[in-house]
Amino acid sequence: MRIDAIWNGRVATALAMLLIFLSMSLLALGFPEKARLMPLLVGVPGTLLGLIQLVSEIRHARQESADDPDIRLTSAERSMFVWIFLFFVGVLGFGFSYAAPVLVFSFLYVGRKESLKIAVISAAATWAVLFGFFEKGFEIPLFPGLIVEWLLG
Amino acid sequence: MDLGGIFDALLTIVSSPYHIFLLLIAVPIGMFFGAIPGLGGKLGIVLAIPFVFGMDATAGALFLIAMHSVVHTGGAVPSILFGVPGTGPDAATIVDGLPMTRNGEAGRALGAAFGASGLGGVIGGLFILAVLPLLRPIVLAFSPAEFFLLALFGITLIAMLSGESLIKGLMVGFLGLMMAFVTLDPQTGTQRYTFDLLFLWDGVDIITAVLGMFAIPEMIALGVAGGSMARADKAAGSYGLGSVFRGIGDVFRHWGLSLRTSLIGCFIGMIPGLGGDAASWICYGHAVQSSKTPERFGEGAVEGVIAPETANNSKEGGSLLPTLFFAVPGSSGMAILLGAFVMLGIQPGPGMALSGMDIVWVLIWGLMLANIIAVIMFILVAPGLGYLSYVRGNLLIPFVLVLTFLGAFLSHRAWENMVLLIFLGALGYFLKKYHWPRPPFVIGLILGPIAEDSFHKSMSLWGPAFLLRPGALIMIGLIVLSIAYYIWGVVKNKKKPEWQHAD
Repeated sequence: MRIDAIWNGRVATALAMLLIFLSMSLLALGFPEKARLMPLLVGVPGTLLGLIQLVSEIRHARQESADDPDIRLTSAERSMFVWIFLFFVGVLGFGFSYAAPVLVFSFLYVGRKESLKIAVISAAATWAVLFGFFEKGFEIPLFPGLIVEWLLG
Repeated sequence: MDLGGIFDALLTIVSSPYHIFLLLIAVPIGMFFGAIPGLGGKLGIVLAIPFVFGMDATAGALFLIAMHSVVHTGGAVPSILFGVPGTGPDAATIVDGLPMTRNGEAGRALGAAFGASGLGGVIGGLFILAVLPLLRPIVLAFSPAEFFLLALFGITLIAMLSGESLIKGLMVGFLGLMMAFVTLDPQTGTQRYTFDLLFLWDGVDIITAVLGMFAIPEMIALGVAGGSMARADKAAGSYGLGSVFRGIGDVFRHWGLSLRTSLIGCFIGMIPGLGGDAASWICYGHAVQSSKTPERFGEGAVEGVIAPETANNSKEGGSLLPTLFFAVPGSSGMAILLGAFVMLGIQPGPGMALSGMDIVWVLIWGLMLANIIAVIMFILVAPGLGYLSYVRGNLLIPFVLVLTFLGAFLSHRAWENMVLLIFLGALGYFLKKYHWPRPPFVIGLILGPIAEDSFHKSMSLWGPAFLLRPGALIMIGLIVLSIAYYIWGVVKNKKKPEWQHAD
């Protein structure tokens, strides 16, 4: 039987869950006896349940492959994943106060084709909340960003 | 009963302008999250976490409980006006709420919903006050053996009731438990799954996990769907304050039904995992069953709005009990609230009955006051509330993402949590996309340390024979019964469970 006949998002998710349980159970074998007891008590049944679920998903995929969800991401999903990754990289590199307003503006103006006015107001509001509310108002120091930290020494 | 403590807590709130201010802020925020379909209370709480960071425990907990307790009050708005439930449990309100709107009685339906919600919330609070003296000795009688099995019972219940598939629910619950073991082993101090990363020595941060599992997937889904969150006919009926007051009056005209459904909601809320949808539908069914004119239901009977709305809010009172005293959340929303309480330094569990009663009283009063404030606020802003449902997703996504990253960072002041957030967010999205329930993950993560600690204590005290203690046998019986009930339900409905894909 060809793999692509049964390979879909449901099967992939079930397989991923099974692999997580299996690998965590195998890793637990390397722990001292007391430390591995609970991870194995949960991990082994989790692996067995994962196997049952995977078999069930494969059987289902063989029966009704036409209705199965495609494993490939849609362009809208890919776009959202890219934006979230950009938010992550931006904040990680340049911190909240600098990166967040730029990212909010970019998402709205470039990504979602909102008007310039809405994008600018939203970016300004974001900066006001982060800098004004958190950093100045509540004196909560926000993450400055790894690149900014490195640049400032 | 500690009457002094109870009223001291009320005085603590009402005599402090700061606490009153927090209530006045929290209530509209909670109603906003409830009124926008797709957001919901869980997301509201996780996004509020950065804002309560740094508050003292009492103020932070008061803010969060006030927000949480009025989510369903706001959720009635899109249910009644557009037939789009703001939150899952508000779905039952549609059955008669939407026909009332079509009959030109939108204001009356909203008034009834808000009056019922307020009354239900207050009765829920009074219910806890009444049963706490009875519950306290029971909590204190629980040994580690019962707590270990109670944790398993909680995961089983949530796994069963939060989705169509028991196996998927259990697996996600177990995954939460496994994530709870990512830390230094409490017995030996050995690193478990930490890969020498210092930030994992304290374990997977609950707030980050919740943000990853809920906020990120919801935002991806919202971005993919596009548009406003409520895709419904904008021709909602116009209404005035007179009809709103008539609806509020209906709640008291049907006082027997309001009282009964409030109490049913409280009892259902006490059972972990059963709250939410079950409470509102059971109470709707009760309203139909107890009516002399059941044929009016579905055509715009005001009792059909009152019953689910009283239950929606009163169940929050009931679900506070297992959440606070057993650390077993009464609902997925309570699970997130539990995580936030831990972040604020409040440690739910049996210890609350001994040394945390002051905060318990504050939470109960906060719950009741928030419900009263919500009704007053609704009356003030009633005619404009429907527009909440047309907030465009595009405008919300970037703000929510910023707050999500902020919450993950602030919870432990560790940038590494943002890396964890990304991984859990991706996992959460695929779980959501392929219909794996996510609440059991949070429950597992929260109950993991309790289960492990109780298990080791039980083994040290009694060995494997701890499973034969009377309390433990009762808990095992409950676990077996609940699974048997699930299987019976599947067989009775003559449908295969989702893991066999009857769909």
